[in-house]
Amino acid sequence: MSDPEARPKNAVAAHPITSAAIAILVAAAIFFILYSPIYSSATPKIGALPFFYFYLLVYMPATSIVLWIVVQLQKRLKPPGAPDDDGAAHSTGPAGSGSGVTR
Amino acid sequence: MSNVNATTFTIVVVLFVLVTGVGFAAARWRRASNMMHLDEWGLGGRGFGSFITWFLLGGDLYTAYTFIAVPALVFGSGSIGFYAVAYTIMVFPIVIIFLPRLWSVCRAKGYITPADFIRGRYGSRGLALAAAITGIVALMPYIALQLVGIQSVLSVMGVGTSSTNTYLKDLPLFIAFLVLAIFTYVSGLRAPAMIAFVKDTLIYVFVLVAVFYIPTRLGGWDHIFGAAQAHFAAINPKTGKPNGTFVPASGSIGSTRFDFASLALGSAVALFLYPHAITGTLAAKRRSVVKRNMIYLPMYSVLLALIALFGYMAIADPVTVANVKKAGNNAQLSVPYLFQHMFPSWFAGIAFAGIIIGALVPAAIMSIAAANLFSRNVFTEFFKPDASPHLQTRVSQWASLVVKLGALLFAVELPHTFSINLQLLGGIWILQLAPMLIAGLFTRWFHRWALLAGWLAGEIYGTIAAYKVSNPTTSHWAASSDIVFGHSIYIGISALILNLIVAVVLTVIMRATRVPAGSDETLPHEYTIDPEQAPAPAPASVGAGAGAGAGAAGAD
Repeated sequence: MSDPEARPKNAVAAHPITSAAIAILVAAAIFFILYSPIYSSATPKIGALPFFYFYLLVYMPATSIVLWIVVQLQKRLKPPGAPDDDGAAHSTGPAGSGSGVTR
Repeated sequence: MSNVNATTFTIVVVLFVLVTGVGFAAARWRRASNMMHLDEWGLGGRGFGSFITWFLLGGDLYTAYTFIAVPALVFGSGSIGFYAVAYTIMVFPIVIIFLPRLWSVCRAKGYITPADFIRGRYGSRGLALAAAITGIVALMPYIALQLVGIQSVLSVMGVGTSSTNTYLKDLPLFIAFLVLAIFTYVSGLRAPAMIAFVKDTLIYVFVLVAVFYIPTRLGGWDHIFGAAQAHFAAINPKTGKPNGTFVPASGSIGSTRFDFASLALGSAVALFLYPHAITGTLAAKRRSVVKRNMIYLPMYSVLLALIALFGYMAIADPVTVANVKKAGNNAQLSVPYLFQHMFPSWFAGIAFAGIIIGALVPAAIMSIAAANLFSRNVFTEFFKPDASPHLQTRVSQWASLVVKLGALLFAVELPHTFSINLQLLGGIWILQLAPMLIAGLFTRWFHRWALLAGWLAGEIYGTIAAYKVSNPTTSHWAASSDIVFGHSIYIGISALILNLIVAVVLTVIMRATRVPAGSDETLPHEYTIDPEQAPAPAPASVGAGAGAGAGAAGAD
């Protein structure tokens, strides 16, 4: 597990369900906006918004949530003890979340 | 200049000077030991965290494209303009597939440009040159769109319009552009990154105010959507067809569904092939910063959707419609006119300043990216392999000026019916990099010469097809969609399909005849690593080819 070259292949093979879930989530996020006949309709109206415009507006936060789940799932693909992808905190910038495993 | 509103004009100038000052101050911000290194001038030292990266990448989406071009298309044609909203949603699930891999391999190998990666991956200078030239040329119309956006705002403000002299009329444009050119020249990527904060704050304020305030003046959202629906259903006496579509439709009234989807898909795939978007990505400090931004950036799109709706607000406001008609039916003016009519003059000034700066910042980022491509992958590669980092940075700085001049040419020469076509034209060209760049991140199956041939086929077909599109008012470059097999489709997508077919067929032939495939200096694990520190940006690796290899990967 410590061989860095072998890590990606092993990760997918070791977590087939997680990997499949990631693939399905990403594919669905793309498909349901790409295939416009699902939502290109003026009715029903939600409040003042025709359905087409309502769907587009709601889809964005939904995409954010789906991609957040994807990133969380990807973290599970890593073997225990491997460096955390989430950016170990270090002194040079504000971005580190502090959740990382030190290297 | 007699019809210039003094308050609006003063506020725009004050805000502009203020922001320019921030840009120059940014040159000192977290100052690097040596600004005359391309990693420094062109990538901000590769040290940007999530927060700044968010602004930097968001800046690629929030441009004159958003404020002028998209609402103009919505104003003129209706729902088809909302493909831009679908595009800015779709882009993030697409990009999360390949962008983290690109970041990792570029960090591992010290690549600065997409063409660096292409050369390292395929061991082909020719393919890298093709990628570099495509990037530079494709950015020009995109920058030109920013210029047209600024021009629209200035002409609504009344600046320069009293003169009929072409050069005098565009004078404010040249001045604004000169200022941009100078501060970009001095402080590189740090200036736009810093200005992005100011610009986005301005933008959030005026967009949110506009979204809540304007509908109250126009009788509510119900009325706005009602007016738009009625307007687009009405038959245009000149063409005998409806004015547009209220939702993408199929069948007898003209199929726009396929057009809508292909424009959205093409634009989404294209966005992160643009060198400036890749520049913004590579400036991120960590792989996780890139991923995290794919989660946060869709929030930018919410605002984009609201901005697109300004197009419908303009339709619902008879004064704006009349003003646009009076100005020669230039749809690009609909949003500036809407703001001018709806807001008190001081607030219109804030909004106009936001749009102008919102066009300048991306123009700066784009020209820096194009310049990096030139100095790294054309100048150093083919003319002066031993160029010092200092010289490379100098060449970049001058190249960025040349790129801006090229953009000016596009802005002057191409028709302005819908300025969004400038961006879509760039998209047709840049999309042809998808096989070599995106597929290349996952597989080395494609043969380098097959990729080159596919690229050439796509570029030639796409350029000719775009050139041939005409409409009643314009004989060439009128739109970016074409009819293929009975469907209206974005030319970028049809050219990409041709590109892929050529690349696949030739790869099979090349492999069967065992034509040398070239070397590959990247290693499989380099596509997923996340080194905490950039490998010491070694100037030695600039022209060193495969030899630069494995050493850099272990830098952390």
